[in-house]
Amino acid sequence: MKILCVCGLGQGTSLILRMNTETVLRQLGIQADVENTDVSSAKGEKPDFILTSNELAQTLEGHPSKIIIVNNYFDLEEIKTALQTHLN
Amino acid sequence: MEIIQWIATNIFGVPAILLGLIVLLGLLLQKKSTSQVITGTFKAMIGFLIISAGSSIITGALTVFEPMWAEVFGLESNTFSNYMGQEAFTTKYGAAVTLAMFIGFLINVLLARFTKFKYIYLTGHMMFWTTMVFAGVVVDTKTDIPFWGFVIFLSIIMGIYWTFQPAIVQPFMRKVTGNDNIALGHTSAFAAVLAALLGKWLGNKENDSEKIKMPKGLEFLRDSNVITALTMGLLFCVGAVILLIKGGTGAEKIIANSGDQNFIIYSIIQSFTFAAGIAVVLLGVKMFIGEMVPAFNGIATKLVPGAKPALDCPVVFPYAPNAVILGFLGAFAGALIWLVVLGYSVAYVFVPTMIVLFFHGATAGVFGNSTGGVRGALIGGFITATIVSWGQYIMVTFLIGSTIPDTAMWAADTDMFILSAFIKFLAQLFF
Repeated sequence: MKILCVCGLGQGTSLILRMNTETVLRQLGIQADVENTDVSSAKGEKPDFILTSNELAQTLEGHPSKIIIVNNYFDLEEIKTALQTHLN
Repeated sequence: MEIIQWIATNIFGVPAILLGLIVLLGLLLQKKSTSQVITGTFKAMIGFLIISAGSSIITGALTVFEPMWAEVFGLESNTFSNYMGQEAFTTKYGAAVTLAMFIGFLINVLLARFTKFKYIYLTGHMMFWTTMVFAGVVVDTKTDIPFWGFVIFLSIIMGIYWTFQPAIVQPFMRKVTGNDNIALGHTSAFAAVLAALLGKWLGNKENDSEKIKMPKGLEFLRDSNVITALTMGLLFCVGAVILLIKGGTGAEKIIANSGDQNFIIYSIIQSFTFAAGIAVVLLGVKMFIGEMVPAFNGIATKLVPGAKPALDCPVVFPYAPNAVILGFLGAFAGALIWLVVLGYSVAYVFVPTMIVLFFHGATAGVFGNSTGGVRGALIGGFITATIVSWGQYIMVTFLIGSTIPDTAMWAADTDMFILSAFIKFLAQLFF
């Protein structure tokens, strides 16, 4: 399973989201390949899931991957709930 | 002695190798699997080498942009002469920059461990650019600096900056986020604080930006590739049209560079090349930062109980999405005004980098909105453009001209401009 974390520049924020997602996945005992990138590059990739903010999700409309919205990239509980809802 | 000399030349003298070793160490300490250790180390090294390649693409486009606008303003184009440039600078000083980043981070961790300032700076790409630009300022001040003196000097400055920048912003950050869990670790700090103060003084908190309805379809502004190409394309086209109308020997000489190609098409391609160069550099930075920051985070959380992460500026964006757009619009308007003013008053061609203007303007917008509503957000953006444009002029002309002005033109930003004169003063004092 491949998960892509996306922010506007693909540098700092999506990396934080990637680290937190990896932490949550470890807690849940799920194996996944997590990467981070910017919104332009994300359009050309086809991971199983994309994690991003509400605003950026709008620019990714029509993307073939399943898009999961996370508003607070630092809220491990929110990430956990979002992942559990969509992965099951 | 031969062995020491060999290590100095081939490890400490080759930034990619040194970085690879640091990342390798970090991954081993985190007890990662063999495949993760190998891929991580390789990605970090490749990423570092990509940065230099991308920088030369950007410089190529800038050497078209600068003479073009110099001719528009009727100036002698002389900014681009006699400087080292990012590629040569990295080859010579990249290892010192890499080490200073690493030791600077350890100083940040120690300060957080033993003082009441528990902030850990985790915005890796800004760590890289800030250290790089400050190194450029130091070498511009004095060229023959001993390697370790240079590394230690930079490390101490970076460690102090990374600890206290988040601390200074935190009272304002609490107002934005409503809690004390995260801090801002970003070089837009000075503009953000100023925006919050000015917003309080000149703005109207009651008229919160989140109460207004923003037109739909502005989401594309969040895509950094698009805004960079869009604005640079616009400026290249305007410059090209002015030159075509103006004529004269200077203009004809620049137009002749396009050869058989139409000059406007040539200019558009140059603007997209600029955006492409930035995309390449960002890919490189992402590849090595993506391996380094998790290792840093692992070290910090083990050593500093109650550590507060200082994070990249978009963490504040969800708290006021409209203020993000307003801040950017304020910064954009300011940049265009200052482009013209700087051209005619001090004969400097300002390169309005959209990444800096967007992210810093948007952050200042959110902070300005927290104290001064819509007006505060717009003022925040405008203040950002003011610091960035005048700061770029002062830095490129007086502080970094002989080393990496090409990098300063698009990657240097708010706090770097504010602090660089102080760095130069300290460098004169110590070396």
